[in-house]
Amino acid sequence: MLQVKNIVKYYGKNKAVDNLSFEVKDGEIFGLLGENGAGKTTTFRIIMGLLDATEGEVLLDGKPIDYSITDKIGFVTEERSLLTKMTVKEQIIFYGVLKGMREKDIECELKKWLKEFQIESYENRKIKELSKGNQQKIQFISAVIHHPKLLILDEPFTGLDPINVELMKKAIYSLQKEGCSIIFSSHQMEHIENFCEKLIILVKGKAIVDGYVKDIKKDYKKKNILIRGENLPLKEIEKIKGVTSIVKQKDEYMVKIEEESVAPKVFAKIKEFPITKYDVTEATLNEIFIAKVGGVHE
Amino acid sequence: MNNKFWYLTKQSLRKKLKSKWFVGVNIMLLVVIVALININSIIAFFGGDFSEKTKVLVIDNTEISYSVFKESIEELIKEDDTKEIVVNKTKEPEKQISKNLEDNQVLIVFDNDETSFVTAKVISNEKIDNTTYQYISQGLNTAKTSVALIKTNTDPVLLAKISSPMDTERIVLSDEKNVDENMEMVMGSIFPTLILPFFMLIIFLVQMIGGEICEEKTTKSMEIIISNVSPKTHLLSKVLSSNLFVILQGLLLVIYAAIGILISTKGQLSIDPNVDSLLTATVESGFLDKILTLLPAIIIMMILSFLAYSLIAGILASMTTNMEDFSQIQTPIMLVLLAGYYLAIMAGMFDGSTFIRILSYVPFLSCLVSPSLYIIGQINMIDVLISILVLIVTIFIMIKYGLRIYKVGILNYSNEKIWSRFAKALKSKDM
Repeated sequence: MLQVKNIVKYYGKNKAVDNLSFEVKDGEIFGLLGENGAGKTTTFRIIMGLLDATEGEVLLDGKPIDYSITDKIGFVTEERSLLTKMTVKEQIIFYGVLKGMREKDIECELKKWLKEFQIESYENRKIKELSKGNQQKIQFISAVIHHPKLLILDEPFTGLDPINVELMKKAIYSLQKEGCSIIFSSHQMEHIENFCEKLIILVKGKAIVDGYVKDIKKDYKKKNILIRGENLPLKEIEKIKGVTSIVKQKDEYMVKIEEESVAPKVFAKIKEFPITKYDVTEATLNEIFIAKVGGVHE
Repeated sequence: MNNKFWYLTKQSLRKKLKSKWFVGVNIMLLVVIVALININSIIAFFGGDFSEKTKVLVIDNTEISYSVFKESIEELIKEDDTKEIVVNKTKEPEKQISKNLEDNQVLIVFDNDETSFVTAKVISNEKIDNTTYQYISQGLNTAKTSVALIKTNTDPVLLAKISSPMDTERIVLSDEKNVDENMEMVMGSIFPTLILPFFMLIIFLVQMIGGEICEEKTTKSMEIIISNVSPKTHLLSKVLSSNLFVILQGLLLVIYAAIGILISTKGQLSIDPNVDSLLTATVESGFLDKILTLLPAIIIMMILSFLAYSLIAGILASMTTNMEDFSQIQTPIMLVLLAGYYLAIMAGMFDGSTFIRILSYVPFLSCLVSPSLYIIGQINMIDVLISILVLIVTIFIMIKYGLRIYKVGILNYSNEKIWSRFAKALKSKDM
C-alpha cells in the first residue's frame, strides 16, 4: 500500500505541492488529475524518490521510499523515456537489470509481454525504428517487466489506437489482480472514469476533489438530461429555473440542470411531446474537472 | 546498488566500444598514424620523392675547386638517405647553361680572386630547398679552405687543427636547470608529439561522458535510471566507464604507432637515421631522464586529470537539455585544455616566470604545464607534488558540490539559460 502523508514541496518560494495526502491500497487503481503545472509530475517524482518533499512523507508498505525499495516501483512517464538507439531487447534488459532482475528472467518475461502486445517480431528492432504506439508499448513493458508493487502511469495510452488501448487495459487489470497499486494520470477523462475507483484533482498543488469516483459524481449536484424527441419546446425548457444550458448532440439534446430536483420540471414540459428517450445522468468527470479546475483543459 | 554500479559501467563502456563512431575513428586513427610514420614510402609509391635528385653543374675557372667541392658534397650527403646531389663539371659557357638551366639543376661558377682566393656564383631557376643549400654552402666553404690551403702552401695538419670546433665542457651548477641547451629543441619537437595523444584523449573523454549524459537527458530515460540508482552512482559509473574507455583508446594509439613502425621498418625494428638522431638528442639532452624520473607523477597526474575532466564534463552535461546546450558547455572546457596545451609547448619562453609557475598548479592546466616546466627545469618535484595535491582537492570539491548540481541538473528541463540553471542548482537545497 502506498501512503502519501501531508507532502509539501517548494521550488524556491513557489509551492508546487500543498499538503497532499492520499492512500492507494494493494490492487487499487487511483487517479491523479490536474491541469498542466498542477503538481502531478512533482508528486510522481516525490513518490519515485527522485525529489525530496519539503515536508511530509511517502511510505510504500510502511517503509519510506528510498533506493532500497524503488525496485518495487514501475513508472511510465508522460514523455517517452527510451534510449532510442537500443534494440527493444537491450532496452528492456537495461531497465530490468536496474530494477534488480537477472538478464535470463528479463528475457523470459519479455517474450511473454511481447506476445501479449503482439509485437514478438520487434524484439531485435531498434526502438527508433518503431511507431509511436509500439514505442509506448515498449515503455509500458519496461515499467512492468519486474512485476512492480506500485505502478505509476502518466498518460499511458498516448499514441495508441483503440485496439492497443484495450490490450494495455487488459495488461493493467492483470497487474491489478496481482495486487499492484496503480496511480493513473491522464487528460482523457473517460479513461479515468473507466479505470479508477478513487481519484484526486489537483489545482496548484492542492487536492480540491478527493474520494471515490462514484461518490464524487454522486455528490456533484449538477446533472444532465438526455432527451430524444420531435418538436421539443426548447425555449420553454431554457426558461425553467435551474436549467443552465441545452446542447444538441447528434439526434438528441443534453439539458444541463443545477440539481436533480429540476428534472421533474423539465419532464413536465415535454411529456406531451413525442419523445423516445428521457434519461437523467450524472455529470461526466470531464464536466466535474472543468468546473473544479475552472478552465478548459487539453 | 554495487551491482547496479558495475552494470551501468559495463553497459556504458560496451555502448562506447560498439558505437560506429568508435570503430570509424579508430580505423581513421590507424590509417593516419601508420601513414604518417610511413609518409616517405607513400609519397615514393605515388611517384613523388622526398629524396629529389639535384644536379649541380660546375664551371671551374680555378681548375682546383671542382674536385674538392665534389668530394665534400659526396661526403656530406653520404649519411643522408633523403637527399641526392650529383655534381658534374661542365665546359659549356655560363650564359648558355643559364639559359637552358632546368628546375632541378644548380650552376656553380668558381672564379679566382686575389683577396678571397676563390669566389663562387650559385645560379638556379628557383629557390633551392634549405637542406640542399646548406650542403652546397658547406661544400663551397670546404672548397675555399682547400684552395686557400693550396695557394698559401699552409700545412694541412695545422689547418685542420685551426678549423676544428672547440672542445667544450658544459657545466651547470643548479640542479634544477637543464644540462643541455638542446632541451628546448627537444621540447619543441618531442614534447608536443608526446602530449598530443593525452590532449586528444581528454577531448574524447569530455565528448563521451557529456554526450552520453545529454542523450539520457534528452530521451528522458534519465528519470527511469535515476529512480533506480542514485545520481552519485550514475555519475561515478559514467566517470569510470569513460576513463576506462580513454585508457583503452590510449593503448590502441600505442598499438597503431607500433604497427606503423613495424611496417616502416619491414619488421626489422631498425631505426630510421633521422629518428635515431632525434632519439640521441633526446637522450643526450636529459629529456628522457627527466621523463623517467617524473613518470610515476605523470601517470598519477594523468589519471587525476582524466577524473577531473570527466567529473566537470559530467556535471556540466547534467544541465543540458539538448545538443546545443552540450556544445556550449564543451567550449570552456576545450579552451582551458587548449590553453594548457600551448602553455606546455611554449613553457620555455617564460623562463623563471612566477605566473607560469602558478599556472602549473592550476587544475585542468597542471597535467600539461607541470611536466613541461619540470622537464625544462623551471620547477622541481615539490612543485609537481603541489600540483597533484591541488588536483586531488579539486576533485574532492567537485564530488562534494558537483553532485549537488548533478542531482538537480539531471531532472531540470527548464528553458532558462544553461549557466543560470547551473547557478541555481548550486544554490539548491535538494540534496
